[in-house]
Amino acid sequence: MRQIVIDPITRLEGHGKISIFLDDTGAVKNVYFQIPELRGFEKFVEGRPSEEVPQIVSRICGV
Amino acid sequence: MEKLKIASYWASACGGCDVAILDIHEKIVDVANIADIVFWPVATDFKEKDVEGYPDGYIDVTLFHGAIRNSENEHYAQLLRRKSKILVAFGSCAVMGGIPGLANFKKREDILGWVYFESPSTQNKERVLPQTSTPVPEGELTLPSFYEEVKTLGDVVDVDYFMPGCPPAPHQIWAVLQVLASGNLPPKGAVVGASDKALCDECKRVKTEKKVKRFYRTYEIIPDPERCLLEQGIVCMGPVTRGGCGARCTSAHQPCRGCYGPLEGVVDQGAKYISALASIVDANTWEEAQEIIGHIPDPAGTFYRFGLPGSLLRRARNV
Repeated sequence: MRQIVIDPITRLEGHGKISIFLDDTGAVKNVYFQIPELRGFEKFVEGRPSEEVPQIVSRICGV
Repeated sequence: MEKLKIASYWASACGGCDVAILDIHEKIVDVANIADIVFWPVATDFKEKDVEGYPDGYIDVTLFHGAIRNSENEHYAQLLRRKSKILVAFGSCAVMGGIPGLANFKKREDILGWVYFESPSTQNKERVLPQTSTPVPEGELTLPSFYEEVKTLGDVVDVDYFMPGCPPAPHQIWAVLQVLASGNLPPKGAVVGASDKALCDECKRVKTEKKVKRFYRTYEIIPDPERCLLEQGIVCMGPVTRGGCGARCTSAHQPCRGCYGPLEGVVDQGAKYISALASIVDANTWEEAQEIIGHIPDPAGTFYRFGLPGSLLRRARNV
């Protein structure tokens, strides 16, 4: 089965990857969208002072 | 003159560095006059395969943002290193780990556990975790592997220049681009787009005597708008942080959190700050010093806010 990979997906904030699988006739059989990134803000804000959190989580997305 | 070929890439980043490049406003047109963009995911449609197709050394300058959090980040670091004459670690994350580097206070499995199983907003009864390889009926899907710890760009590849800041200040970006375009390059390994002096040197707040009897959390005090924040008992990283940002935070009555990194010759910004604190705490006894210092919550997460992976500590042990 033929596979077309669009990597990275562009003109947006963040990382993404699209895999398109084609059958023998070239028709789309299935499409998968994946996000290949994780930073873990949910976990590493634990232990930080609450008043500092707005300035930390503003770095989730800077666009 | 032949146009420069430039690339801009984000690894473990937020995109703020890319926006900072656009914040040079109308000068972006001047950049287009001197340079062609050959890879810039946030703004153009070049793909990984395009970059792989370039000859080695084809790109004149790559501005690399973001920390190295996973194997894809490292793959791009190596790919762009090979394809670029000049590789710039651009922004605090690439230089020293940045905010994503705070993850080095946690263990890999605790991050994955919280995000995929435990957090109240997660529903994952099958306890599915991302895998580097997942078989699907049509073939195989792959994902990068999530590293044990966050690394800096310099940990994984040879870096030509280091440009700190979260994000780097636009006027500095413009200045650095002009220098790189001129061909009159600074020595390899130089910190560019920043001052050699401390943030305090360009902070306009009035400094008198640094003697602190009590530290305050920012919500506990309305600071005098003219006076040095640290002298008022607000933890400010200015004395141990490179200037060059234009004192953006302290001008807005926010303490410096150290995003421009340690001063020239200083290995560990957090340790340097502990040393600075020791000289300003106004205590006569050990107990009194403990009492004063005890008012600073989360010293490690504050003194190493932007630079844990690039510091001597690198990461917390036995957390």
